[in-house]
Amino acid sequence: MADVTITVDGVTITVPAGTNVVDAARMAQIAIPVFCYHPRMKPVGMCRMCLVQIGTPKLDPATRQPLLDEAGKPVIAMMPKLQTACTTPVSEGMVINTQSPEVKFAQRGVLEFLLTSHPLDCPVCDKGGECPLQNLTMEWGPASSRFDYTDKVHFEKPVPLGDLILLDRERCILCSRCVRFQDELADDPVLGFDHRGRNWMIISRSDPPFDSKFSGNTTDICPVGALTSSDFRFRARVWELTPIPAVCTLCPVGCNMTLDMRHERLMRVMPRENAAVNDIWLCDKGRYGHRFFEHESRLTAPLIRRGEKLVEASWDEALSLVAEKLEAVQRAHGGAAIAGLASPRLSNEDLYLFQKLFREQLQSNNLDHLPGAPGEAPHDDLGALLSVGKDANLMELGAGDVVLVLGADPEEEAPLYVLRLRSAVQRGAQLIVANLRPTKLERSATLAARYLPGGELAFLHGLLRELLAAGGRVTVKSSGFDDLKRVLNDMSAERITERAGVAAETIAAAARALGEARRLVIIYGAEARSAGPAVVEALGALLALSGKAGHAQSGLIALLPGGNSRGALDMGVRPDARPGYAPLARPGLAARDLWPALRDGRVRAVWIAGLDPAANFPAARAALAEAEFVVVQDLFLTPTAHLAHVVLPAASVAEREGTYTNAERRVQRTRQARGPVGHSRPDWQIFAQVGRALSARAGAQAPRDTTADDAWDYLTAAEVAAEIAERVPGYAGVTYTALAATGKPGTWGRQANEAIYYDGTNYENTEGIGIKLPAPVESGAVSINLAPRPAPAPGDERPILLLSQPLAYGGDPLLRGSKLEQHVPAPYVALNSADAERRNIHSGDLVRLDSAAGSLTLPARVVADVPPGVALVPADLPGVELAAVQTGPRTRVHLVKLVV
Amino acid sequence: MLGELFKGLGTTLRYIFKPPVTVQYPEVKRPVRERFRGRHELKRFADGKERCIGCSLCAAACPADAILVVPAENDPANPVSHGERYAAVYEINMLRCIFCGYCEDACPTNAIVLEHQYELSFYDRRASIYTKEMLLVPPDKGHGDPPPILLELQRRPSPPAQIDL
Repeated sequence: MADVTITVDGVTITVPAGTNVVDAARMAQIAIPVFCYHPRMKPVGMCRMCLVQIGTPKLDPATRQPLLDEAGKPVIAMMPKLQTACTTPVSEGMVINTQSPEVKFAQRGVLEFLLTSHPLDCPVCDKGGECPLQNLTMEWGPASSRFDYTDKVHFEKPVPLGDLILLDRERCILCSRCVRFQDELADDPVLGFDHRGRNWMIISRSDPPFDSKFSGNTTDICPVGALTSSDFRFRARVWELTPIPAVCTLCPVGCNMTLDMRHERLMRVMPRENAAVNDIWLCDKGRYGHRFFEHESRLTAPLIRRGEKLVEASWDEALSLVAEKLEAVQRAHGGAAIAGLASPRLSNEDLYLFQKLFREQLQSNNLDHLPGAPGEAPHDDLGALLSVGKDANLMELGAGDVVLVLGADPEEEAPLYVLRLRSAVQRGAQLIVANLRPTKLERSATLAARYLPGGELAFLHGLLRELLAAGGRVTVKSSGFDDLKRVLNDMSAERITERAGVAAETIAAAARALGEARRLVIIYGAEARSAGPAVVEALGALLALSGKAGHAQSGLIALLPGGNSRGALDMGVRPDARPGYAPLARPGLAARDLWPALRDGRVRAVWIAGLDPAANFPAARAALAEAEFVVVQDLFLTPTAHLAHVVLPAASVAEREGTYTNAERRVQRTRQARGPVGHSRPDWQIFAQVGRALSARAGAQAPRDTTADDAWDYLTAAEVAAEIAERVPGYAGVTYTALAATGKPGTWGRQANEAIYYDGTNYENTEGIGIKLPAPVESGAVSINLAPRPAPAPGDERPILLLSQPLAYGGDPLLRGSKLEQHVPAPYVALNSADAERRNIHSGDLVRLDSAAGSLTLPARVVADVPPGVALVPADLPGVELAAVQTGPRTRVHLVKLVV
Repeated sequence: MLGELFKGLGTTLRYIFKPPVTVQYPEVKRPVRERFRGRHELKRFADGKERCIGCSLCAAACPADAILVVPAENDPANPVSHGERYAAVYEINMLRCIFCGYCEDACPTNAIVLEHQYELSFYDRRASIYTKEMLLVPPDKGHGDPPPILLELQRRPSPPAQIDL
């Protein structure tokens, strides 16, 4: 956009056209006070705090040229009244005066007026100490008020807007930042105004009240203490907190946050600015869901089974028992008789040492990072091989760029992507949302397609066909292009639209957008992955055929369960590949095959770190109960830990350092906020200690390799990270020092210490924005196989397709102790009203789902947003053994209404 | 020489007949000045409610970092203090305290006052930490009326925060 030159308080600067006067003045290092204006939202000019004098060059009516005075300078016509700087865009030659007596008079007057009924209860207000109203009053406000103190209007307080956010009406200055955040950014228009005059107030319009996954952000951007969170209310004063930089591990976005600690206790969680990841926001799960590490049920000491009971033991006893048993099993039955499962929540250091322990010390490839329930989709490789490239940043997507979201519900799987994708749309990017059922993101889409259940592959083939017809070519190393062309050419357009259930025009429009995109990002989630690897491969082919594969800012983003699934795959915690996706000639047992192998004695010992397969998975429970030796390493005494022979207490994410790889393959570092609970130890330390014990035992029997001992001598997590940087392909240079870089100064759109006036109380990022890994396809190191898989044979003919739906507030054990626990729904199965009516099922009726594997009874919930022929069950809810009925990620079932 | 000796003895002799200046502490205690800064007391209002609202401003003002305040929310049915907030924990480490009185200056409700008790000695460091129970005056020793801002009396009821759709 063209630049314009303006003069602010005598300083002449050039700013992009369209900038408003507040932002333009900030670029000249001049602060104009604001309350209602927020740089991420449209200005409304409600608070009148930003009044300034504005003048524009006088034009000669005849020539339309600026009039010049005797000195040859343009004549400036000052506007007769003060203007709100936030709603006034700059124009060429504009003169802005922020220091004149009129402006100062207006600023003092506005603040005096805003404070007429402000209760001045700063000593008890949670915002006190980081409050823009306090700061602006100190700097721009009057020293005293002409209003009578006893005339202040008082209201009952607090008013709960929801169970997480409380409103203090006396403090509210009605700037509407919270309302606009919910309307414009979060697309949860649940807040509004009610009444008028002195009774004007913020209300929640939704049921349940304040039904939004981003509600906590309104407390950050509230310029006064009107919105406070019930999570932090009256726990501490803000200046007493020690913010520790951390990364959220509750979903694959990897938002930057701070753990605000006081005396080793977590007081609150706040967003930490990172333009490439979470901007200045944080979802409620990240903000309020981190109370688990202070829960009283944390394990504090190692436990060893003695008879029926688990008895506390010392670390020495527990570790030597683990080493002794594992070595005995290895000697008697070989490494293949040992298996390991590690949670995708663990850090890269943990996961790397875990696979190193198994591959190098125990000679076992029986590794996995999911419990192996039938509902799990196969491991996702393309999300890494074709990932968005180095320096990719969704915040830079704008006009000309296209984002395709297929088979994903970002609001539940990775909530912050909703904000980021919506902001990309606001900058002009195209958002294509294709799902089998309506999602919230669909409302923000520029093009929405809803395919039939099972029609996603046909929809993708339709897109591929259109791209091919438009002359799509593959620019990266690939194989199977001819196969793909042949299969696509064999299909008829009618058949595709019929099977996909999407109009031919929609497919053509979407394909045209994909083909013409400057940059293309494809996001896919649980629903797409449940349809089988063919869908993910078709998405890869789509990227390749659009010619964007290998481009730095284009690629695939897979929304995987757990906060560090991508890290687990990168680190090779999987049976079939080494770190860096190097396939193994002889893969080990996947988690799915582990349970039968454990029962028939092929596997004798199993080590489970951070996973809880016994909770909802009967086959795993039965196998573990009969296993010869089970080690469980966890934060809590889970149902799986109850079946263990040795339970090792692990330190939580707040009690150790580590790096995590997010869905886009950005590696970020989290720091230690507090000492470990009890005797718990970081996971990587436990693996290293067992590794050292095992190598010492091996060395005692056959003294051959003196370096073997050193292989397990890690003092800090940074040493493990250095080894990862050395050994894992793609992670070169990812050291703790490099991760601490914060990028170019000034790229965050804020001036030092001024954010509090404008953006809210989020923290500035001074501890590192992480490193985006390059995509393997960028360097041409990998070849993409485009050949389509043969269509799967239609198997089961049962009428209903059962899908599990990951929920943000699902049965995540890490939500324990938080205010979100009450948001976890009771188990249900969601049905389409047509399906329900045919079977005379009403909401609340008990319904039995019968599949080839078994049956499950759940209360029904008849809803409109599930397509006919689909039953949706929330995944991982406590007490719902979905594994008992699932035959795969997608299961065909009969519905039977139970009459009690 | 001899004259000087008698002069000195004369001074001694003169003081024999004056009352002694020595105070028989601890049997006898000298009164302190009105503005003496001794051990703190946490005051109450006349209605017996605690004056402290747990705002931590005393701790923020303290140059010796001697004060710990952990606030909590009042139970509306059974409030400890007026308003929404009170101090669940209030501790002063008398070994750290330098009796400067900044906490008294910072207190918005005149809850903490340095009083006249100065006998502060301990056998161990732990005993030097005075808890809220030790610092609080008895419930019947309150004074003054709470300021209107802390009172709920004149507050208008709010309409429900949610309207029916």
